[in-house]
Order: sequence, then structure tokens, then C-alpha cells
Amino acid sequence: MSGQAALRAEGLTKHYGDVKALVDVTLEVVPGEVYGFLGPNGAGKTTMIRTVMDEIRPTAGKAWILGLDCHRQSVGIRRHIGYLPSDLALYPNLTGKDTLTYFANLRGGVDWSRVGELAERLDAQLDKKVGDLSSGNRQKVGIIAAFMNEPELLIMDEPSSGLDPLVQREFQALMRESVEHGASVFLSSHTLSEVQRVADRVGVIRHGHLIAQETVASMRSKGIRSVEFDLGTPADAAQFEAVPGVRDVLVADRRVQLSYDGKMDDLLRMVTSNYEVLDIRSQEADLEEIFLTYYHDDQSTENVTT
Amino acid sequence: MLTTVFSKTVLDRWRGVTITVVSLSLLLYFAMGVYRDLDLAIYTGLPASFKSLIGIPENADVGSLAYSAVYNSYGALAFSGLAIAMGAAFIAGEERKGTIGELLANPKSRTHIVVSKAGAMLLLLGLGGLLLWAAAVISPALLDVSIAGLHVGAFTLHLTVSTFFYGFLALAIGAWTGRTGMAIGIPAAVMVLSFFAVGLLPLVSGWEDVAKFFPWYYLGGSEPLLNGVDWAHVAILVGGSAVLFVLALVGVNRRDLRGRSTGVSLIDRARSNPMTAKLAERMAGSTRVSRIWVKSASEHQGLLLVVSAAMFFIMGVLMGPVYTAMDQTLVSMGDALPEALLALFGGGNTSTPEGFYQIENFGLMAPISIMVVTVTLGAKALAGEESDRTMGLLLAQPVSRSKVLAEKAFAMVLFGVIVGVVTFAGVLAGNALGDMGIDIGNIAATCVLLTLIGLLFGALALLTSAATGRLAAAVWVPVAAALVAHVANAMASLQDAAWGRLSPFHYYLGSDPLSNGMSWVDAAVLAAATVVILALAFPAFARRDLREQG
Repeated sequence: MSGQAALRAEGLTKHYGDVKALVDVTLEVVPGEVYGFLGPNGAGKTTMIRTVMDEIRPTAGKAWILGLDCHRQSVGIRRHIGYLPSDLALYPNLTGKDTLTYFANLRGGVDWSRVGELAERLDAQLDKKVGDLSSGNRQKVGIIAAFMNEPELLIMDEPSSGLDPLVQREFQALMRESVEHGASVFLSSHTLSEVQRVADRVGVIRHGHLIAQETVASMRSKGIRSVEFDLGTPADAAQFEAVPGVRDVLVADRRVQLSYDGKMDDLLRMVTSNYEVLDIRSQEADLEEIFLTYYHDDQSTENVTT
Repeated sequence: MLTTVFSKTVLDRWRGVTITVVSLSLLLYFAMGVYRDLDLAIYTGLPASFKSLIGIPENADVGSLAYSAVYNSYGALAFSGLAIAMGAAFIAGEERKGTIGELLANPKSRTHIVVSKAGAMLLLLGLGGLLLWAAAVISPALLDVSIAGLHVGAFTLHLTVSTFFYGFLALAIGAWTGRTGMAIGIPAAVMVLSFFAVGLLPLVSGWEDVAKFFPWYYLGGSEPLLNGVDWAHVAILVGGSAVLFVLALVGVNRRDLRGRSTGVSLIDRARSNPMTAKLAERMAGSTRVSRIWVKSASEHQGLLLVVSAAMFFIMGVLMGPVYTAMDQTLVSMGDALPEALLALFGGGNTSTPEGFYQIENFGLMAPISIMVVTVTLGAKALAGEESDRTMGLLLAQPVSRSKVLAEKAFAMVLFGVIVGVVTFAGVLAGNALGDMGIDIGNIAATCVLLTLIGLLFGALALLTSAATGRLAAAVWVPVAAALVAHVANAMASLQDAAWGRLSPFHYYLGSDPLSNGMSWVDAAVLAAATVVILALAFPAFARRDLREQG
């Protein structure tokens, strides 16, 4: 299926009565990439995923997975994808093994050695009833179900919820390995650190609108820096906020934290002329800060209420 | 309004009470209207034993017939069922849903919660009883029917207090065990068993007093409609409820709360035992998830087992010897009975074994039993999967919605057929044991029609599931439809009215298959209706958005 988008949406829109859950979303996931779909809770991430999964039908627009129409050819699509729904619910009375057997049967078989390998890597308990598992251990069963058929596209909605950090890392490694073998991943998340670690490209969704789409590399290169000062005297936040490009000022007595996307010279001049500077730490901002920047801008310009 | 546990419980539960009360009121009005236009001469001179069996008071008139027919049977069963559902949901239900932890994280004691919920139940059932009383007074006034000499207030008081008992029984069992299945199953079994015990035992000489051990006796045993309130009987019901309430308080405080529980079935035990593991694995493990319909079927095997056992042993086998042991007057009186009256209980002639089976089994209990199975399957299999939020993952597999629906429908049909076959086997055995001489072909014909009417309402549950994805609607729509259809058919056959043909029940026992054999036309009508309803379910399911929340 080379050359064809793994997932393509054109003008995808979903209204629930007056509520516009998804508005004119157009995006494309190219083969072999991890696409991070970022947004706060209630932004429309799950609506987007449920629409391309044919669980719900768009009010307007269309979507294709691996070149197949998401509605008319949805059964065909599902042979080639792995799906992990948000807030995963499984059959409480089945064991993990039973659950996977069930899905394997519906798919016409599965490579059980692959299941065993996945279970070992994630440290999953497959012989216990799913209803008796903790949410993280239940999530592992869902992850195995999504990965076990070597899908060409993985659609994962908040997949890391409930996983401990070690398992999260293993799960991220699994995603990268799939991508190296030519698969693609559509990863919805509000955990920015996760997206930062695995995604090649990021789309930011808010109030149903796709407000930005960029590669992780170029997002980082936006030049936003995280700066921290230790000062000799208590700091005045207003003085810092007055400098153009300064955001998210946090003052704790003599320590100041802020994000900054201006010329460092301007900021330093203001600080040194007003304060005794004991220490400066400056580093490239992580996605979280960049994301919060989008978030704030969006809120101030549109002044939307949720 | 969500300020207290009490008010939240009232808000959660008032709809069910309202729906039940309104339907019963309408049915009462309807029944009274039909009885008013009948020649009541047919009721005079009925033997006492017969009246006891079908729950008609002495000196029956329009009012007492309507009250007894609607409130004492349907009304009491539906209202008690409602109380059981409430009582079971209060503690055990919250444990199963996994919400009890959060509820008890608030600074409220377990005792406080039980008291609040029990108070809400008393309020709702009490208000429901009050409304039933109002309907019982308003209907005759509207219809210009005299109810002089009838103690309507006493009658509804007995009815209301008797539902308290079942509600508290369910609450107490739920509080002690935390298991919803037991909290619903045991009181429901007590209710149904005592319904029959109280109807049948007085007819067996020497056993009359045994009926007093069954709670149903205190509902109508003293004939409150004619004699006014029997305070001793009311006290027994209230006292019993109070004892159960105390037991519930003790029970909920003394044990560990259950988490979101899964329960351990026999098969699970067999799977974990190394001796039986291999066999159980073959039977249950990989087999039960081999297909969608197998999995749906395996999830409801317990229900099927219980209902099948009840239909086989109690409604089938046991009825043979019971019939032989019965008062001979019942057997000899049959010819004197007017046909119009018998129609109400499904037709047939009570003096004959056929008529006896019709009244005790096929008239009411058999359709209820088979519908419990088919409607549960139809609702849980499809809407249940949506409210449990597993439908999304199921449909992430390469299976179409139509295939999912078709397999779930197959499980429903299979279970309906099993109940039909087991009922047939039970009646066959009872027929032989009691030496009753019913034609085997006729038993088979009746069981086929029974199966078909069960499938019809199961299909309605599937259609409602497919169209709405709401579990509550998928249960209540077919139940309400069946209730209305059953009463309408009974009333129409009394009047020989043509509109009775609109009720599916007309095509079930309307031709008296137990005496006359198979009516292929009726079978075809039921089958065709079932097929049409099922066919409508497919586009309804395919077109709609799946629900996100349960």
C-alpha cells in the first residue's frame, strides 16, 4: 500500500445537535510515521477516532484508511488495523487469553507466538479474568489485542493510561518497532511527554478544530526556551511579564521560571539592570510548554467557552 | 436534587415506578370497561375451589373481578418485581458497578446509605401504592361501575405492604452477599413459588394451612377487598420487612465490600482444578469464545439453566401429580363453566388436563418464562454490549454490524427453542406421571407456538437494542408490549372482539392448541411477525451512531 496515506480525513465534521464535536478536520497520516494527536480532554480526539472507526457517522466530510472508505469499506479496513479504544472496556468474565482468542477467532486466526512475545514484553497476565485485573493490566490486554495481528495502521486512543513507566517505555518501543516495519500509528494523547518521545508529527486539536500540525522537530525549533533565574532579591512577576515574548511566569520568592521566545539579550538586560543574578538555567522547551503556548493563544484569540 | 443519597435514589428510580403504575392503571380501566359490558351471570355459582385457583373472590362483581385480575396477578407480580430490582440494586448493584467505593468515600456510614436507600424505596413504593389506589377509585367512577362494599383502600394497602417485603428481602440478600444475581434470583424465586403455592395448596385437602408459610398468602389470603384490612396479616408483612431491614443493616456492616466483581462459575472452578482443567478448557475456554453467538449464549447459560429447570420440573413434571392430587370438585366442575370466562385464562376447559395445564402453565407462566430468556438475550446481547462499552472493540474486528446482529439473534432464537423443547419434555413427563392423557402432538404444537411467541418478543428486544442501544429501553419496550398484548387478548376474547387479532397472544393460544392441535396459520403469523421485526433491526443498527456512554 505504499504511496497511499495510512489515514486521510477531508473536512471531517461531527455535530451532536448543537455541539460541534469535530469541525472540518483535514489531515493525513503518511505510511511509516507516528502521528501524535494532541488535545486537552473533550477536544474531539475520541470523536475523530470513533468516526474513522465507523462507530459514529460524520455530519460532513470523508475519511479513508489505507485507501479504503471508512464507512463503506469499514469491514475490510478492520482486517488491516489494530485499535485500542479510550477508557478500554473488556469482557470482565473472560480471561485475557479468552479475550484474545475471541478476537483472534473473529479475525480468522492469529500468530500465538507473537501474542506470547507481546505478553512477555508487557508483563501481561493472561490467565486471570479481565474483571479482576487492575486498569493497567487490563490495558495490556487491549494493547496485545491491537498489536497481535501485525496491523498496517494502529489507532490508539489514550493508550498509556494506567500503565506504569516501565511498561509505557516498552509500549513505546513496540510502536517504534511497528513503524520501522512499515506500519503507521495514529496516537491520541494528552500526555505530551509520550508524544514527544514517539511521534514524528503532531496535530493539535481544540474544540473540534485542528489548530496546528507540525513535525515534532520543527515544533521544537520554534525557539521557545524554558528559563530559570535565581535572584539575590525577591522577584516581581510584572517586571518579567512586561518583556515581550515572556510567558507563564512562575515566581517563588527569589526563583523565577518562565518560557521565552524572544532574543535572550532583551530578557537578560531587564534582569541584570533590576536584580542581582545568582544563577541562570536555560533549556529548550519541551512539547508541553509549546503546547501550552498554543493553548493559551487559542483561548485568548477565540475566547471560547467549553 | 442530588443532594442526598435519599434524593438521588428517588431520582434514579421514579421512572420505573411511574411506568408500572401508569400501565397498571390503564389496564385496570380497560379491564373494568370490558367486564362492565359482560353478562356477569356467568360468574355466579362457580365452585369456590375454582375461584381460589384463578384468584377470583366470592360474589365476584365487575369491580372485584377487575381488581383481582389486574392488581392481584399482574399488578402484584410487576410491583414486587420492581421492588426486587430496587432492593438488589441498592447495595449489591453498586458493588457490581464498582461505584460503592466512591459512594462510601463520602463521610456517610454504610448504615446511613442503607437507611437512605430503604427510605427512598418505601417512599416510591408507597407513592406507587397511593396512585394505584387513586386509579382504583377513579376508574369505576369514570365507567359508572359500582364498587359499593369493596374495600379498595384495604386491598391496595395489602398490595403495597406485600411489595415492601420483596424489596427488603432483595436488599437484605444484597447487603449480606454483595451479589446482584442472588439478590434478584432468590426473592424472584420466592415470589413465583409462593404465587403458585398460594394458588394451589388450598385446593389440596390437608395442605390448606401450608400456604401461610408463603408471603404471597398475606397479600390476598384474607380477601381484603371484601373483608377490609386484616391487620394481623399486614403486621406480619411489615414485621417481616422490618426484620429483613435489620438484617440488611447488620449484613452490610459486617463484611468486606466486593470490588467490581466477576463471580466464579462452576466452569471457572473446573478450569482451575487440574483434574478437570482439560475437559473444562475444551468445553468452556476456547470454545465459548469461538464465535459471537457462542459467547453470547455462554454468558446467559445460568439464566437458561434456571428457567429451563423451572419449566421442566415445576411447570411440567410437577403439575401432573399435582393435578391428580387435586380436589375432585375441580375436575368435575369443568363442564359447567362458561367458555367466555375460561378465555381469560387462555381458553380450554378446566375440567380437563389440557385446561389445567393451560391455566397453570401455558396461560401465563410459560410465556413469562420464555420471554425472560428471549428478552434478556435480545436486550443484553446487543444493547448490553453497548452499555458495557465493549461494542467498539468488538466492531474493531473485521465483522460487520449485520453479522454481529445476526449472531446475537441466533443466540436468542437458540435459547428460545431450548426453553420450548424443555417445556415440551417437562409437560410430556408430567402428562405421563399424572396419567393425564393429553395428546403428545398437541403438547408439541403448543410448545411450538409458545416458542414462537417467545421469539417474537425477543426479536422486539433486539429491534429496540438495534435502534437505540439503550439497555433499559430494550428491556422495557418488549415487557410493556407483552403485558398490553396479553391483557388485550384476554379482554378481546371475552367480548369475542375482532381487535383481539391485533395481539400476538391471539395467535398463541387463541386456537386452543392443547386440545385442538396445531394451527399452522397462527404459527405462520407469529413466525412472519418475528421475521419482519428482526429484518427491521438490521437497517436500524447499521444506520446509527454507536453510543459512547453506557
